[in-house]
Amino acid sequence: MNESLLEILRCPLDKAELTLEDAEYDGDEIVSGTLVCTECGERYPIEDGIPNLLPPDMREGTPA
Amino acid sequence: MGILENKARARLFYKYLSTVYDQVNPFIWNEEMRTEALSLLEFPADEEPMVLDVGCGTGFGTEGLLEHVDTVYALDQSEHQLEKAYAKLGKRGPVRFHRGDAERLPFATNTFDIIWSSGSIEYWPDPVRALREFRRVLVPGGQVLVVGPNTPENLVAKTLADAMMLFYDEYEADRMFKTAGFEEVKHKFMGPNYDPDIAITTIARAPE
Repeated sequence: MNESLLEILRCPLDKAELTLEDAEYDGDEIVSGTLVCTECGERYPIEDGIPNLLPPDMREGTPA
Repeated sequence: MGILENKARARLFYKYLSTVYDQVNPFIWNEEMRTEALSLLEFPADEEPMVLDVGCGTGFGTEGLLEHVDTVYALDQSEHQLEKAYAKLGKRGPVRFHRGDAERLPFATNTFDIIWSSGSIEYWPDPVRALREFRRVLVPGGQVLVVGPNTPENLVAKTLADAMMLFYDEYEADRMFKTAGFEEVKHKFMGPNYDPDIAITTIARAPE
């Protein structure tokens, strides 16, 4: 993902802004890192450049 | 109430569906229908519009949108479906992919000019909740287009269909979109000549 995407990305739970932590870059692209909600602190991984913004209850291995 | 309203089951269902989806899909949703649906949208001509594809799946609708715009934002819950889309469209090409939930969109309010969603609404546990999220992230006056399965008229088919997923008719679509706060709600039936009303396409606008 491109860093400019942060302008429109929000926490799916409370729609607060996200900050980027531990970012690794390949040119302009962020290939890995963590998006952290500035309000609730929930953490969303960036996996091979794709932000995984699934709410925690929908992530793999989460019992429904 | 269908079995896919359990989200864990939905994930499992998609995992297996994605292996055959593009082979099965052309029978109910083909390029002609996609072109017809795209013609209902008004892409803003003066600037590069912000376009979101919710439930992009294997990227069939996304490809159509790229005939009209240079960049598409796409979201899906299933990594197995998305893998197919990455294979076709590239992970870092003209599509900005995201994993996420249609009912809890990870985007800022007033962001998109157009939201497209084809072949996804039938799997949403609470369609009105998802449509409210669409309205939130659309700019005022922004357009939404949703393609879903029309209710089959045959009773046996309808019973089977309802057990698997949500089907709806134009009255139900009207109710859902208006409850979610949309205006100028219109519907169009689409399908191949042997089954011309198999799909229902709804277009509407967020209030100004």
